[in-house]
Amino acid sequence: MEALLATGTAESAREVVPVKKQAVQDEMHWVAEARDGNVAAFEALYRMQVDRVYGLCLRMTGNASEAEDCVQDAFIQAWQKLDRFRGDSAFGTWLHRVAVNVVLGRMRKSRREQDRMRAVSEVTPDRETIGDTGGLQDLEDAVNELPSGARNVFVLNAVYGYSHNETGDMLGIAAGTSKAQLHRARRLLAQQLNRNDGAA
Amino acid sequence: MNEMNENEFDDKLMQAAAGLAKEVRPENDLWPGIEASITSSQGEGGWQWRGMFAQAAAVILLVGGSSGLTYLAVHEDRNPAVPVAPVGALEFRPVSGSFGSHYNLGPDFQDARDDLESKLQEELANLSPETRAEVDKNMTAIRNAIIEINKALAEEPDNVLLQDLLLSSYRKELALMTRVDGMASSVMRRNDI
Repeated sequence: MEALLATGTAESAREVVPVKKQAVQDEMHWVAEARDGNVAAFEALYRMQVDRVYGLCLRMTGNASEAEDCVQDAFIQAWQKLDRFRGDSAFGTWLHRVAVNVVLGRMRKSRREQDRMRAVSEVTPDRETIGDTGGLQDLEDAVNELPSGARNVFVLNAVYGYSHNETGDMLGIAAGTSKAQLHRARRLLAQQLNRNDGAA
Repeated sequence: MNEMNENEFDDKLMQAAAGLAKEVRPENDLWPGIEASITSSQGEGGWQWRGMFAQAAAVILLVGGSSGLTYLAVHEDRNPAVPVAPVGALEFRPVSGSFGSHYNLGPDFQDARDDLESKLQEELANLSPETRAEVDKNMTAIRNAIIEINKALAEEPDNVLLQDLLLSSYRKELALMTRVDGMASSVMRRNDI
């Protein structure tokens, strides 16, 4: 699935570098620079990652302004902790962990979940529907209605594709708890979407 | 939904979830806020380091100065200095040992203190003017503190913290006198009060 980026002419086919590999090399270069205090390099990392981090924060918080605050905090913390990033995982994954911690920390501090001012649906571009199930039109809203525990697991596992081990590690819960929360999320989503279906 | 097999629904649900947009562009550019924070924290870090260095330097100066004073006081007898000023030129005005308006120092402590005080005056004559000035400065600071604490104790005679502070100040005064006089330390306890 990797697209290829030609770095030379057709004759120099051996210089063809996979785009993904190139991106990773760039990323590591920017990380190294940023670690040395280069703010411009960190801005490059920000530009590369902000949409993905914001997407995660938005789905976890369900609130656009709260998600923006989380993104800011996450990047500020990432800057401060950059020397702890050893490259064991992709920088994006490490950044996601930082962002998840920020979101969880803010959730613990305040119960703003109940006071969401703006629904995710107002700012999220593409709506997904589930096949031909009629009323099951708005998965975004249904996910947003989940309780935080189930929603966080669903977002990390089902949307972002992290394993239960990774999800549990990020959320500070056991892998088994992650599985249980995913099951709960599915059940609640089924109820929610079925209710919407019935009302339609 | 009723006709839909539960597993089939789950599969479709998970497929749809995996297809949800993972990247969402924030409405606002968040970089300026982040940049402002990290650049200011870099500055703060510098100030923190400078502050820590200043504190470390102050501690070194304090410890060094104190050690120097102690060394001079203890070793003065090896290089006895010729008195350059009459003993009477130094005027200490030790306050009466008391604990606010309700308590007085015990007679044993008061006797030891008076004894040390008289010997201090004798020994001071053998110290160099610089050392004597340092001793005078330190003793004055301690005794001023004793006066201030006593005043505060007059307002709050039962304030345990003030009592402890006063006790500690008397100990410092005794320690300084003992160090200068080269006498064995006189242990002061709460039951001396």
